[in-house]
Amino acid sequence: MRTKLEACLDAINRVVLGKEPQVRLALACLLAKGHLLLEDLPGMGKTTLSHALAKILGLSFQRIQFTSDLLPGDILGTSVFDKDSGQFVFHPGPVFAELVLADEINRATPKSQSALLEAMEEGQVTIEGATRPLPEPFFVIATQNPVSQGGTFALPESQLDRFLMRLSLGYPAKAAEKALLLGEARRELLPKLDPLLDHAELAALQAEVSRVRASDALVDYVLRLVEATRSQAQFAWGLSPRASLALLAAARAWAYLAGRDYVIPEDVQAVLGAVVGHRLRERADATGHGGGTLVQWLLREVPAL
Amino acid sequence: MSTPQALPRVALTWLLVAQALAILPHFLHVPLWLAGFWLACVTWRVQAFRMKVGYPGPTAKIALVAVAAAGAYVSRGTLIGLDGGVVLLIAAFILKMVEMRSRRDGLVLVFLGFFVVVTSYLFDDSIATALYSLLPVTALLAALIGLQQSPGAVVRPQATLRLAGQLLLQALPLMLLLFVFFPRMEPLWSLPVPDKKGITGLSDNMSPGDVAELSQSTELVFRARFEGPLPPRRDLYWRALTLEHYDGRRWSQGYAAQGYGAPPAWRRQGNPLRYSVVMQPTAKPWLFGLDVAETDRDDVRQMSDFRLQRRRPVDRALLYQVTSWPQAPREVNAAPQGMRRALQLPSAGNPRTRAWAEDLRARYPATPDLVKAVLAHFRQEPYVYTLHPGEGGADDIDQFLFETRRGFCAHYAGAMAFVLRVAGIPARVVAGYQGGEPNAAGNYIQVRQFDAHAWVEYWQPDTGWVSADPTFQVSPERIEQGLEEALAKEGTFLEDSPLSPLRYRNLGWLNELRMTWDNLNYGWQRWVLGYQGEQQLAFLQRWFGAVDGRVFALSLVGGVGLAFAVVALFLFKPWVRLRDPQQRAFRDFEILLARQGLRRHPGEGPRDFARRAAAALPRQAAAIDAFAHLFEAQRYAGEPAASQALRDALKAVRRALPWRPGVSSS
Repeated sequence: MRTKLEACLDAINRVVLGKEPQVRLALACLLAKGHLLLEDLPGMGKTTLSHALAKILGLSFQRIQFTSDLLPGDILGTSVFDKDSGQFVFHPGPVFAELVLADEINRATPKSQSALLEAMEEGQVTIEGATRPLPEPFFVIATQNPVSQGGTFALPESQLDRFLMRLSLGYPAKAAEKALLLGEARRELLPKLDPLLDHAELAALQAEVSRVRASDALVDYVLRLVEATRSQAQFAWGLSPRASLALLAAARAWAYLAGRDYVIPEDVQAVLGAVVGHRLRERADATGHGGGTLVQWLLREVPAL
Repeated sequence: MSTPQALPRVALTWLLVAQALAILPHFLHVPLWLAGFWLACVTWRVQAFRMKVGYPGPTAKIALVAVAAAGAYVSRGTLIGLDGGVVLLIAAFILKMVEMRSRRDGLVLVFLGFFVVVTSYLFDDSIATALYSLLPVTALLAALIGLQQSPGAVVRPQATLRLAGQLLLQALPLMLLLFVFFPRMEPLWSLPVPDKKGITGLSDNMSPGDVAELSQSTELVFRARFEGPLPPRRDLYWRALTLEHYDGRRWSQGYAAQGYGAPPAWRRQGNPLRYSVVMQPTAKPWLFGLDVAETDRDDVRQMSDFRLQRRRPVDRALLYQVTSWPQAPREVNAAPQGMRRALQLPSAGNPRTRAWAEDLRARYPATPDLVKAVLAHFRQEPYVYTLHPGEGGADDIDQFLFETRRGFCAHYAGAMAFVLRVAGIPARVVAGYQGGEPNAAGNYIQVRQFDAHAWVEYWQPDTGWVSADPTFQVSPERIEQGLEEALAKEGTFLEDSPLSPLRYRNLGWLNELRMTWDNLNYGWQRWVLGYQGEQQLAFLQRWFGAVDGRVFALSLVGGVGLAFAVVALFLFKPWVRLRDPQQRAFRDFEILLARQGLRRHPGEGPRDFARRAAAALPRQAAAIDAFAHLFEAQRYAGEPAASQALRDALKAVRRALPWRPGVSSS
């Protein structure tokens, strides 16, 4: 199974050049059954990465382009009157796919955003009184432009919390960008990707990940980290229990990807920035964005042993 | 050129505040141009921080220093000595502020500031000054903390101040410990007393006007606390010195009395009075006491005229214990020839007084009768006790006795001593203080300058010296109730100081407030400033039994060591053992590697650390990896805990490592 995972990583890395750590984190996120938020400037490869992931994992893929006039019905679907049968027939919206790419999620109004975010949390949608389950597995990869850019509605903290990880791709290294410029267009490579996993295999992987051992000593470390965010003065607020669960789940997936069946502190540290960065604010700058320096502080000061 | 480390904004803020607070009390005695100088320099510094003006160049610096030195010289007349020195110090403190650009300059400024705070104690050591100095010290600490911030950091001044306050509070126990135990050393050299020209007080010669001048001053002279009940006010004649030489105008201390003659003969008799005195600095060597006084101090002796004299002038508050024997006969058996000094008179002058005295002598051959007659004269004739006696002329005693009949204690005492001397009775003027204001709250008496008094003592064979107070005959209120009552009719009590609280003694609450404040100050002087030398030794002996110097020094060192040990225990908590054997093994592993200069950061995981260590010590990499593997397996992978295996792996690491730090085994 692990060899297959390695193959998946290689395949994605051939499409998204020079972003091995982010690709690995993204895969870990999906293995931990979490939703992923990609935040970066336009044109950094966010969509390509999501596409590649969907392809490789063999998931049905839908893309919703969020705009300011997007309505909840455009996401969830609507009932339309069918003349022939004389009944309303439900037409499912794009959210009924296994992997949903919510592109530029922060360009839509909060009303439309929350339609998707509710679906993410519940695993089902309720339309016109009927509750309809979403497919299993169900992943959302949302991308957003940096908050500072015009025409954006920033996601509130309560909704940011629902994403297991937030990743930022960043500018590619020089060599990677050169390869990018010399090679084929990335979008053209995507259709050539073959699924490497099927649904059963993915479910098995996810089950295995959740069985990765987290010893007492390791859980203590996670608790120390969480406790530090709650007691230290520079944190505007502490991490929620959902965040500590997310941290442990992501660390398990990371350990599994590293070929281990137990978690070590280094696994927690590897995923810490992606998992808690969007959940923390500095007290001095509570409305600001990102807890990068806070994460650095946690990595440096909280005793790992 | 490397740019020096710039100053953080918060440090500059606190330095400015601290400088203002540290200089402020000095403005009571430094020339006022320093205030202007300071304002100009502060403005310059602030503008330099805002990058509106540049820092002073070399020429400007030299010019500023020259201006400051010249200013100090012009206003003080010298650059040497305490007065000029303090002016120079403050000028330097101000100038350093302008020049300050780097963190190092800031540190120099902070330490200069502490020194300036300390120098203010040389001028005033009252409780108010001591409490006030906490303000500049806190501000200086805040500046010191601010200097440690990185220049770009946005730190609010309040945060630094809070930390400084905490530091000060934490230093409090240490401060108390040092106060109690630190040995007070006598200064190696005596600092010239700052500007005692301004201090009013008795001097070693007296013309009648001098005492009248003193009576305008409310300044405290000393406080005395009696064991047992306070003696009645009319018995409180505090002797300071005697004036034996009369030159026709002034009474002054006799030459003989100034030297260290043989101590006078006297006999203890009657019930002694025991009391302790805390006197304010006078810049004079004499101490105050009721007749006949003995003290406990080694550096004080009784002089030939029964006054107490210290080896050095009293240049700061002094505490001493006195035992007085009021009924003791003094120099009863002295030879009459020895009293010639007390009969000295100018060859001419005051003819009417001389004639009157000789007439008295003829009428009253016995000395007691004659003295009684003189006192009766003052009582019966219309003499007036006043602070405005008018100017005396050439024969001022004649004028006083037969024409104006208005005078102050010095007039009466001088005239009476003169009359007695003409009549052949050895007599002299005693200068000192009379009475004092009882403080009910503290059960002590406070004596102020306006209690200054002069009276007479005369000698006769078989009786010795006897005191007599002509003022009592003229104005008994002065002796029994005090100056205010004596001047009640005239209304001249403290006429030059309308705001003095002493004038409003009839206001109950104000008086109580004044008494309480005075009691506080008394306690400060008695227990804090007076706690040195013998007081300290006596205190320590009361607590720890008899100790000699060596034992004391040893226990001091031991005590300080103990204090540090307690702090160290508190900090490191060695009793908190790591109960987990895995963690203990890993800590030992860390200690081993720390000897090789490899320290684990708190946030560094065991695998990362082992990898780093293995990269730094490639020869021992195998052993290090083996240990790290074992540790990880037991701690995280759920393998059963086997501390022996860990210990063995650790031993392997220890063996693989060179035994001496920094030397790799080859």
